[in-house]
Order: sequence, then structure tokens, then C-alpha cells
Amino acid sequence: MTTTTITTARPPLTRWTGGGWGMKLAPYLFLIPNMVIFAMFTIYPALNGFNMSLYESNNGRTFRWVGLDNYRKILTDAEFWDVVRNTVIYAVAFVVLGTLVALATAALVNAQRRGKTFFRAVFFIPVLVSPVVVGLIWNWMLERQNGLVNTALGWFGIPAVPWLVDDTWAMVAIILVGIWMQMGFYMLILLAGLQAIDPALYEAARMDGANWWQQFRVITVPLLQPSIVVVVVLATIHGFQSFDFIWTLTGGGPVGATTLMVQYIYENGFQSPIRYGIATAGGVLLFLTVFTLTLVNWLISRRREAV
Amino acid sequence: MSQTRAVTAVQPKRTWTSISGGTVRVSDVLRVVVLVGGALACLVPLLWMFLGSFKTPTELAQRPPTFLPESWLPTNYVEALSRFNFLQYLSNSVIVTVVATALTLVINAMAAYALAKYNFRGKTLLFLLTLATIMIPLQVILIPVYQVVASLGLVNTLWGMIIPAAATPTGVFLLRQYMLSIPDELIEAARVDGSGEFRTFAQIVIPLCMPALAVVAIFSVMWRWSDFLWPLVVAQSESVYTLPVALARFNAELTVPFNLILAMGVVSTIPVLVIFLFFQRQIATGIANTGIK
Repeated sequence: MTTTTITTARPPLTRWTGGGWGMKLAPYLFLIPNMVIFAMFTIYPALNGFNMSLYESNNGRTFRWVGLDNYRKILTDAEFWDVVRNTVIYAVAFVVLGTLVALATAALVNAQRRGKTFFRAVFFIPVLVSPVVVGLIWNWMLERQNGLVNTALGWFGIPAVPWLVDDTWAMVAIILVGIWMQMGFYMLILLAGLQAIDPALYEAARMDGANWWQQFRVITVPLLQPSIVVVVVLATIHGFQSFDFIWTLTGGGPVGATTLMVQYIYENGFQSPIRYGIATAGGVLLFLTVFTLTLVNWLISRRREAV
Repeated sequence: MSQTRAVTAVQPKRTWTSISGGTVRVSDVLRVVVLVGGALACLVPLLWMFLGSFKTPTELAQRPPTFLPESWLPTNYVEALSRFNFLQYLSNSVIVTVVATALTLVINAMAAYALAKYNFRGKTLLFLLTLATIMIPLQVILIPVYQVVASLGLVNTLWGMIIPAAATPTGVFLLRQYMLSIPDELIEAARVDGSGEFRTFAQIVIPLCMPALAVVAIFSVMWRWSDFLWPLVVAQSESVYTLPVALARFNAELTVPFNLILAMGVVSTIPVLVIFLFFQRQIATGIANTGIK
């Protein structure tokens, strides 16, 4: 081997001229299994989704070309627009409230001298529970007559809340449960960000007489921004694709009041009457939405970093 | 929100000697109260499920609800076992989780190694492509992926659940970042000693990557164990149900008593809690490093 004394440690090994075939082929061989699965089950389907959305099928086997008719149908479908409205309300509330709650919790945990690890662990526990189970438990706890939540509210003289019976309350319920379930994950990211901030900065600010709010605004927020961006991006992706816990919590009801996009796609695609075209067209629209939002989020954060 | 109130309450009391102990400040007390309240909100539902899993249907129907079960005998667990193919769902869940995690580790590590330690044509493109797929969760391309799985005859099989999501972009990303920190000289030295490319990878690189592999493994296990939508779509007959699928299906059938559902819920929750207790630190650092599930 002639070029064994490569000086730079990173970026990795520039070129092994003496390596022969084995070394030239090796990276491709290493990549093949992963990339084949990627290509077959992510990239091809993502592209094929556009194509499939131009066909209609009522059984998933025989397809009939209909052009843009699926989009015409879906965009004039009142149910679809209800689902869009629900999804946007849920996702926005989830992202905004979820991030704020996670941020507040992270700040509180970080300020704690004792029991930091304990609180961090406890707040993370709901993340671990299977979303299906989360939906089951909360469906039971939010039961109107003898659910634990209404019983507890009753102790304080608050009348029973029609959690899963009323349209608006059901939406409130899925937002709160969604935050309950995911908040710990975002909190961990933000907590790590907070712990990475040099305490000397706060010390200096205090010497200069900065109060709590000024410190928060001038030191915490700017330095925590990368973590906040990560959380917002993840929460956006999670929010728009929420399905599993809602399925067992409200089932999308009452009368579709909490049916979100993924459930709409699932039901059209797999429950009779099967409307494959509608399901794939809905999938394409959701895909474009999530993709665009994530991209915009990243771009905004990049620009801010550059300034 | 109660948190914000507590935070602002810090403001008036301005004794900035934060490191000194001794005096108890109002803000400290408030903070602990809020944190304990939040902790209870996280734990009570799970405790409630645990208590409920020992109650009889009559106890569960009582108003107001009773706190402790009348008996601590695992009657519901035994009945759930005998009434459903509970062990079948459990073993399906275990198989899917273990095999999928093993597969993910192997193919992700190989891909990460290629992207971290070789220079080759198309490297940047492949890496960017991998990153971009983070933005394409399976939920959004559900139907097209199902078509692929169906055309391969994998519907209603455990492989159909395992394979499609095995090539996680986040796993590749995390492992690649970690492998970048392995000195090239080490790999070079192995080559000089005549070690083949794959042997170098398996015997030198993999042992060095154990911390990162552990993180990827833990996340894969947690996610696969709880995964619902994809198994729901793939599992069409009872013999391939995983625990979450079985739970959701039975919950939808009003004939299945809720106390049995609760017992199954407890059983499906315990493994992840145990894993978490053992690997807490790895999980925390894993999330902190990538911020990605």
C-alpha cells in the first residue's frame, strides 16, 4: 500500500490508489442492504404515491386511470376539509403548547439542584408507554360519569366535563393527551440544550444586574434556539401524523370531530368502502405539507444562524 | 399555565447567591410544588391502570371509583392469558422487536461505516438522500408502501412488519457521526496488517461503536414495541397480531371486559419501563445528541 501515511484524520481517507477492487467496491457493498430497503420502502413509494394518486381502485388490486379526478373529489369533499381543519387545529396547538410546556418544564427541572435526574426520568415515562395504551387509559380516565378526571374535578366542586362527548372538549382532550404523551421527549432535548449553556454567562449577567426575565431573553432564548428549532420541527412532524393514541382515545369521534389526516387516509385505504384514490391523494397532500413545513422550519433556522 | 406562574414568581425574590444552601426561598418551594404536580400528572394514569388491572368489572363500574382493588390476586392476568392467544401476541411483539432491531443495527452500521470512512462517487448524494427521508414518515406514504409490501406477498407476515422501516435514517445518521470520531489510523493499521474490509469493520469498528449502537438499539426496541399503525395495516389475521394491535382490536369489541384490557396494557408497558430504568443514561444522551426519535 503506497498511501498509508495519510495525514488528515478528517475528512476521511482521501483516496487509496493502491487499494484495488476490494476497497473501491467495499463502500457500495456496505451500503447496499440499507439503501435497497430505503429505495424499496421509502423512496420508491414516496414517488409512486404521486403516480398512484392518479388512479382509482375500490379493492387495492385493480386500478383505473382517472387523472386528477381524485384531487377534484377530495378537494370538494366536505369531510376532507373537516379533517384538514381538525389536523391543523391539533397540530398547531400541539406544536405551540407542547413546546411551551416542554420549555417551562425543562427550565424548572434545570433550576432544580436536587432530584434533577428523578424529575427528568418521571417526565419521560409517558413517552415510553405504547400510544395505544395511552389512548385506552385516558379514554377510561376521561369517562364522563365515573372517570378519574371528572371525579377529581368534582372534589373541587367543578361540574363534570363532557370530555369525549362534546366536539370541542374532545379536541381539547386529544391535544392535552398528545402533549402528555410526547412532552417528556421534547423536554429532554431542551434540557440538554439548557445544560450546555455556560453558567458563567448567567453569573456575568447577574453582576450586571439583569433580572430573571432579561437573562431568559438575552441568554437562554438565543443560545437555546437550535434545540427549540429541533423540537418545533419534530413536534410538527409528530403533530401532523398523529393517529395511534387518538384511535383508542376517541376513535376520531364524536362524529369525526377528532379525525385527523392519517386516520382519514387509513380509513379510506383499508376500511370499506375502500376509496384508494382518495386515500393516496390525501397521502400526497399530507406528504407535501409535512415536507414543506419541515423544510421551511430548517431554512428559517439556518438563516437565523447565519445572521 | 401553572408553570409560568411559578417561573415569574422567582423574580421578586432576588437573592442571587444561588449556590448557597440554607435559607429556603419561596420560589424554590413553588418550583418543587409545580414539579411534583407535573410528576404526579405523569405517573397517576399509569398507576391507575396498574390498580385497575386488579379490579373486577363491578369494581371498575363503581361511582365514585374505588382507589385500591379489593384483591391483589392476578385473576385478570390469568383470564386474559386463557381467553386470548395472549402469548401469541406477546411472542409476535417480541419477534418483531428483536429481529427488526437486529436488522436495523446491522444494515445501519454498515451504511454508516461506508458514509463515514470511505470516499466514493455519490457519497454526498446518498447521505443527503438518507437525511431527507427523515421527513418522510411511513404514515404519510402508508398506501404506496402497502402496495410494495403487498406485491412482495409480505402482507399478513411478521417480515412485512419488520423490513419496511428497518433502514432508519436516524440510525444511519447517529452511527455515522459516532464513527467519524474513530481515528482513521486505526483502520489503516488493520489494513496494513492484512485485514479485509469487512473484517476491519466487524472486528475493529463495531466494538468501538458500542455506545452508539446501544442508543440505536434502545430506541429501535422502544419504538418497535409500541408501533401501531403499520402492524395494524399488515396484520390482517389474529395469528400475526402484535400486542398493540390486539389491544386496539379487543378494545373496539365491546364484548371484551375492560379489566382484561387493562391487564394486557400493563403487560405491554412493563418491558419498556424496565428497559428505561436500565438504560436511562443512554436514552438521555441519545436524545440530547440527535434530538431525533
